[in-house]
Amino acid sequence: MHKSLKIGMTASALGALVALGGLAPAQAAEDVAKLSVLHAVPGLTVDVYVNDKLTLDDFKPGDLAGPLELAPGTYKVAITASDATDASAPAIGPVDLPLEAGKNYTATANLDADGKPTATLFTNDISQLAAGEGRLTVRHVAAAPAVDVLANGAVAITALTNPNESVLTLPAGTISAAVAATGTTDPVIGPADVNVAEGTNTIVYAWGSLTDKNLALAVQTIEGLHSNPDSIPAGEAGLVATNQANDSTGLLVGGAAVLMGLVAAAVVGMRRLSAARR
Amino acid sequence: MRATAGTFTALAVALALLTGCSSAPSTASSTAYVPPTNAAPTTTPTPAASPPTAEVEVPTTSSSLDQNQVPAALPPQSIRVDSLGIDMAIESVGLAEDGAMELPQDPSLAAWYRFGPSPASAAGATVIAAHVDSLVYDIGPFAQLATATVGTEIVVTTADGQERRYAVESVQTVTKQDVPWGSIFDRSGPNRLTLVTCGGEFDYDAKTYLSNVIVSATPMA
Repeated sequence: MHKSLKIGMTASALGALVALGGLAPAQAAEDVAKLSVLHAVPGLTVDVYVNDKLTLDDFKPGDLAGPLELAPGTYKVAITASDATDASAPAIGPVDLPLEAGKNYTATANLDADGKPTATLFTNDISQLAAGEGRLTVRHVAAAPAVDVLANGAVAITALTNPNESVLTLPAGTISAAVAATGTTDPVIGPADVNVAEGTNTIVYAWGSLTDKNLALAVQTIEGLHSNPDSIPAGEAGLVATNQANDSTGLLVGGAAVLMGLVAAAVVGMRRLSAARR
Repeated sequence: MRATAGTFTALAVALALLTGCSSAPSTASSTAYVPPTNAAPTTTPTPAASPPTAEVEVPTTSSSLDQNQVPAALPPQSIRVDSLGIDMAIESVGLAEDGAMELPQDPSLAAWYRFGPSPASAAGATVIAAHVDSLVYDIGPFAQLATATVGTEIVVTTADGQERRYAVESVQTVTKQDVPWGSIFDRSGPNRLTLVTCGGEFDYDAKTYLSNVIVSATPMA
């Protein structure tokens, strides 16, 4: 949070819901769409207009805004030079972003494969993960041909092209990630350590331009997708049980446990004896 | 200027809403008349009457790898409850193959669920568990947890060497099928400590305890 941007908001939204200026605020958390915005066009500070209202002022390359909680609907987004006075002469767009309730999106301002500025809407996978797992989403929004993604030196994703994504479910942990031209292993980005955190969708963007030698990684994380362990079995001997074994099988097992307890007590006693003798 | 006024308005309404909830019981139990704080919202303009477009700040961050990753949690390394004679090292664990929380076989070793919060986390419950007993190792220190009382002090030392003190808030023995695992492993809410072991009656056929002993503790000021 090294800086923040301004967004128009009606007073009724009260911070619980952020409604874009002039639009009806959404009513309940499960009824909203979440939208993050990533600026992935190198060297160009921009303004972002939503439905012709200035929403993100002086938005800088590599910055990530949001998530905003919005009423579902279609939003018209235009991206202008930062000195524009309105949305009438956009550098990108306008594009229509259809946002559905309960979904989570990231809109990127990015270069297409040929280096032309464009906008891309991604839907983020926020489905629940099994306990111990993390989700890694890799998105190609760079002016570059198809790439492979290497995880810990091995090819994990092949032939990913702009503006597409690949989603992996992995055991949680840090991986060393690198991006190389498809069919090669010589990194054009990285290697860099990426924490594929448990219960989290870690979204990595390859952005920038191969020709301009400013390819880079951006990262966005969506937490709270975890599951929990379903039990803690923390005892096996019955040595502190509040009940007694009361059937024949139980007597045998319980007897064994009691016997073990006696043996343990005897061992401790002997140790104490020998200690006392010293 | 507009931003400042809008922020204050939003804050005032938010505060009024908060105090409106929390102050109601105290007002009822007070002997002297105290003007209800939840009267405040009537003085603020309602959105319907005046829908100004205020300016608020939207969180924006750098998306660079070194600034925007989920930080690794700071592991707890040892736990001490002097009044119960507990002084144990803590291992960082994940899951057993059957979906249970993994635990060291030795009941003299405690285990921290490393995918959940740590004592250094901003929010959520740090879960530390240990076997109560073992056919190989005998009874473990956590057998004493059942005798903890409200206010019992627990000291957890994290990997940075810092001692973090907690006071027991509750000790419960809950049959295993009734344990709310979602709230045991809760990653939200206030920072707190949850200790878990087994206890209660034992099923001598299945060689398993029927209950978990759950100690909830909150940070001491």
